[in-house]
Amino acid sequence: MSEKVLLIDDEVEFLEALSERMELRGMDVVTAENAQKAVAALDSGEYDAIVLDLQMPDMNGIDMLKIIKESHPEMQVILLTGKATLEAGVKAMKLGAMDFMEKPADIDSLTEKIKKAQAKKMVIVEKETAKKVDDILRSKGW
Amino acid sequence: MTQTPADTRQGLQFFGRISASVSHEIKNVFAVINEAAGLIEDFTLMAERGMPIDPERLKKAANSIQGQIRRGDGIVKNMNAFAHSTDEDVREIDLVDTLSLTVALTTRLADMKQVSLSMGECPPVSLRANAFDLMQLLHSFIAAALENLTAGDSLVMSVKPLEGGASFSLSVPGKDAPVVLETMLSFPSQAICANMELNESAGTCELRLSASQP
Repeated sequence: MSEKVLLIDDEVEFLEALSERMELRGMDVVTAENAQKAVAALDSGEYDAIVLDLQMPDMNGIDMLKIIKESHPEMQVILLTGKATLEAGVKAMKLGAMDFMEKPADIDSLTEKIKKAQAKKMVIVEKETAKKVDDILRSKGW
Repeated sequence: MTQTPADTRQGLQFFGRISASVSHEIKNVFAVINEAAGLIEDFTLMAERGMPIDPERLKKAANSIQGQIRRGDGIVKNMNAFAHSTDEDVREIDLVDTLSLTVALTTRLADMKQVSLSMGECPPVSLRANAFDLMQLLHSFIAAALENLTAGDSLVMSVKPLEGGASFSLSVPGKDAPVVLETMLSFPSQAICANMELNESAGTCELRLSASQP
């Protein structure tokens, strides 16, 4: 099954090249070059993983991560940045990011992380579905 | 003027801020080159398996690499010129070049605030001063103005000769003169003998440097 990925970065050439490479690897990629477009893309689609730039002009990645996690707690976010500091990485992981990668990123490592994100999300969704079914069975007197 | 440890610390912090910003930009350049080169490699691997290559797509990737190398070269040239600003304590400085370099090094800060930063009309002017201190002062002058601007604003920076010295001015076309808190300029304005004035009729905030620098 192809992984559906939302790629958020203000460097348009980076977005174009990386999304094309990910598509060549069988992924279904949606791109957003600013926070506004990212929020719109987030609301209109389900993703297995979000690859997010830590520094963007209209919103930093940590704030965007908070927004994503508030509206979609199950979403798997991989932060991608040119400014990889331990402090930012620890903060992002505490806020629920799945992983943290430094630019320039290795496409094989990124692909591997996206596959892990998809598997992790599937487990979460399956657990949620099982819980919903269980709740329905408990609430109905069948 | 004798520098105190606090002055030295402020100078180091300024050098650090600029270096961090430049290195971040270079990382972005490398990231684009990495993906464009990777794309060419992907196309080559596909061709080895018998899939046709679209020459236009290859050309676009190669152009992207060349464009990013030009961008990276410009960033490194600016960083090199900035590093050389510490070579001498005081020298004759081309103020238009110095302002242009400071604007280039501060553009990323403006970009992050979604403000467009540019140079206005600047007649030739030079002055004997400390280049590093002057750049620190100009950077803090622009940074202080950015604090009070909103996304979509344009900030224009100019310099002109004034009574043997020089006047640097900041303006926001279509708006009142930008508000700059003098406290945000701190050490550099004292080290360089400058004072700030609001020119409401011209819609500018001006930083005036006297002819006799310490």
